[in-house]
Amino acid sequence: MSLDKLKQIITDVLKDVDVVIGYKQGFDALHATPCFVTKPEQVDEIIWSPLCVQNLAGYLTSLKKKVGIVVKGCDSRTIVQYMQEGLIDRNKVVVIGIPCTGILSVKKVLEKVKHEPVEEVTFGNDGTVIVKTPSGDTKMALSEVAPDKCETCLYPTPVVYDHLADEPIASTKDPQNVFKDVEEFNKKSLEEKKKYWEKEFDRCIRCYACRNACPMCVCQDSCIAETRDPHWISQRSNLTEKMMFHMIHALHLAGRCVECGECERVCPMGIPVNKLKKKINSDMKALFGYEPGVKPEDKPPMLTFSVEEKNIEEHKL
Amino acid sequence: MADTGFIPKEKWGAFIEGLSAKAQVWVPCLEEDIVIFRPYSKERVICFDRPANTPPKGVIFPQSDTLFSFAFTKDPENPQKVMVELEEKLDFPKTIIIGSRPCDAKGFLIYDRPYTQTDTPDPYYKGRREQTTIITMSCQSPSPGCFCTAVGGGPADKVGSDILITEVNTGYFIEAITEKGKEILQQSGAENGSSHEAEARKKQEEVHSRVQDRFCADGKPKISRDLFENDDFWQEELAKCVSCGACTYLCPTCYCFNITDEKTFEKGERIRSWDGCMYTHFTLEASGHNPRPTKYQRFKNRVGHKFIFYPEKYDGVIACCGCGRCIRYCPMSVDISEVVSKLQKQTGSASNGK
Amino acid sequence: MASNKNPYLPELVTITNIIEETPNIKSFQVVFNDPERMKTFTFEPGQVGQLSVFGVGESTFVINSPPTRMEYLQFSVMRAGEVTGALHELFPGDQMGLRAPLGNWFPYDTMKGKKILFIGGGIGLAPLRTLILYMLDNRGDYKDITIIYGARTPPDLCYKEDLKDWESRSDVNLILTVDAEYPGWDKRIGFVPTVLNEVAPSPEDTIAITCGPPIMIKFVLQNLAKLNFKDEDIITTLEARMKCGIGICGRCNLGSKYICKDGPVFSLAQLRDFPGVI
Repeated sequence: MSLDKLKQIITDVLKDVDVVIGYKQGFDALHATPCFVTKPEQVDEIIWSPLCVQNLAGYLTSLKKKVGIVVKGCDSRTIVQYMQEGLIDRNKVVVIGIPCTGILSVKKVLEKVKHEPVEEVTFGNDGTVIVKTPSGDTKMALSEVAPDKCETCLYPTPVVYDHLADEPIASTKDPQNVFKDVEEFNKKSLEEKKKYWEKEFDRCIRCYACRNACPMCVCQDSCIAETRDPHWISQRSNLTEKMMFHMIHALHLAGRCVECGECERVCPMGIPVNKLKKKINSDMKALFGYEPGVKPEDKPPMLTFSVEEKNIEEHKL
Repeated sequence: MADTGFIPKEKWGAFIEGLSAKAQVWVPCLEEDIVIFRPYSKERVICFDRPANTPPKGVIFPQSDTLFSFAFTKDPENPQKVMVELEEKLDFPKTIIIGSRPCDAKGFLIYDRPYTQTDTPDPYYKGRREQTTIITMSCQSPSPGCFCTAVGGGPADKVGSDILITEVNTGYFIEAITEKGKEILQQSGAENGSSHEAEARKKQEEVHSRVQDRFCADGKPKISRDLFENDDFWQEELAKCVSCGACTYLCPTCYCFNITDEKTFEKGERIRSWDGCMYTHFTLEASGHNPRPTKYQRFKNRVGHKFIFYPEKYDGVIACCGCGRCIRYCPMSVDISEVVSKLQKQTGSASNGK
Repeated sequence: MASNKNPYLPELVTITNIIEETPNIKSFQVVFNDPERMKTFTFEPGQVGQLSVFGVGESTFVINSPPTRMEYLQFSVMRAGEVTGALHELFPGDQMGLRAPLGNWFPYDTMKGKKILFIGGGIGLAPLRTLILYMLDNRGDYKDITIIYGARTPPDLCYKEDLKDWESRSDVNLILTVDAEYPGWDKRIGFVPTVLNEVAPSPEDTIAITCGPPIMIKFVLQNLAKLNFKDEDIITTLEARMKCGIGICGRCNLGSKYICKDGPVFSLAQLRDFPGVI
């Protein structure tokens, strides 16, 4: 995709909106960071590469103005889910879609280069990544260091857009495999699962990065994790409270999580929080045949009800 | 008593094991690909290769800490009357932290001034601090985002540590800095360190030269108050922040806390827990009024606290150690060093640029 | 001088009396469980205390009885949130915790020999009350005392007994007002800042002390400036969400000053250093 084409689209869109949100170079060679463009001179800073990992759609619910926004396929599902739930005014958002050929996971790259400071990152057309550190160059395939969500991505091309920055790409992934990792995990015994989650959540520091980075988590200012009325969770730093927070958070996202993976990406303690939400999503699929964030006219099953549900057996009273 | 020593690589494990016999030892441990301070045990995999994801501040300032417990009892003569009994929890074990970095150790010094150099010293912090020895490993390389030299620190800075250890080719060069440190060195059975000193110094200087000078060559950034008070500046810099507060929890120098009562029926505890000035509700009053309702105001207060207000109160000491964790782990890569760099440039200070 | 006392551990107090000042404000009179402590406890007018309802939490209130009247300590509480709600459910004989005295106090020493103008609104009269009573107990030290006090309606006026007493005294000029007409109310009508303009006190040799809802303070300060009061001669007391009460938890700060430790009493001249507060 031509970066110039993207910059041209952004410059054009900027004439009709108050701000366009895209990506620019971050604090080092391995990080991009959101860029809020309000003046044409700023468009030059815009970049596009597998470094552009953040889900920018999360900003839409807190901005009152007319906004242009750059989205990958996975990010666009957030916008569709917002439309289903009435959380944004579609007329106030101009969506600049980018068909995505995959991004990288900073954590996986750092593991590969043994956490040395990264001086340069170059992307080859053949799907390779070369990462330069003080000890030299390390070559790897993008697929090796992509986040888990890319492996099962069904929507590389945004599902909603006003402008498309490149030719649409079709998914090469088998829809049957989307929940394979959850099915594998589910084979563990109850005791094994308990030990697994206890070990993972023990590292949690309740920083709420996962909660705030989640685009669907919209009650952040009155979150159950912190309220005293009702007082569900105490401030004690122990496993019980941490697990309670994560269970409640995952349940609040039932039928709403668009699997953008931000929660897992931002966790400073490397906890695989996305797994819980994916499990609930697979249950949603089985029970209601519903996939969040795909069709704007869909009705989220946990926000509506039918008198008779197709897959739920009623008690015959 | 000698001030330096040397422990060869093959005796390193025994050295740590030996320390664990004297006190509760906290070491950075590898779990999945995360490094986190844990109490030492033989089963754990210790990792000194990079700074821990979370600083060791939780050892002296636990994430949740019982201040006192309370219990209600009814007066048997008059059941309407309920008596309350309070019990303080004030005993702290002897502790050794090994594997902090110089930036982490500086964090404890930042705590010391408000928590102990006051007419109302904090007995919980003070008690744990007095019982803790800090053994710091000097950095073998800068970490992504770190900038200790710009705030007056360095990858082999001794300030705040009892012992500084520098890894050299065949082992570990030990420098005892305080009396506590010298005592440990003497009891450790370490060899004479003088023949390894030159190698250690060379290593320390080499790493120091590689730390990026983000914004201030002399370690004393001066902030432009005009730009600091400009709301537009903060709105532009902070538009990408999602106000999660992870930066405050991962910061070695952040010391804000909350006090809450947690009760179950007739007894309970008043606990102190970590809190962060970046959270929306931090200053929210019961009336609904919030002095810092926007993330811009909160971040301005955070930068102000570290680079203006704390130095104002405490002899110009900057309350930031440059560890870079807030930058590394920020979901949106907000870069406090970039913000301070811009704030500095306004003064046209001779120490910026180059 | 550093103290070895644990600053987080409250002392136990018992409620001796509760006065329903208004539909949502109650005054609590408390004594220390330890009678010796009651004798040795000292504080200055303007200082605050953190009252604990164990199991619920703590909240900050000014000690609004004066140090010259030590049969009890009085705190006035407006029902607003979790802790104040729990306080309102208590009865005389119930136990609470108290951490006091905290913060700074009114610089009454520098006010000696001057005229004093108190301007209060609603529960804002609470911190003023301690100083008013202290000054009345040391009446010879101060010249004219004028009190301008108002509330939304007559039932919302606090300390009705004190108001009756001050009205009857010849050495205090009490000017009461309510926001709008009210059955049975035959005194002034008008917002406190408007009444201040009508009274138009002279700034000469006068210290103005004000406390009340933020909107009232805003206009009172504007009008005092128009009346040519100097910033150093205007005193107010601020409030904020507080937790530690000893200036370290990072919550109630304005710049480098903590309201719980360097305040809550500030002069307007001091507050000019914190842009956006006034």
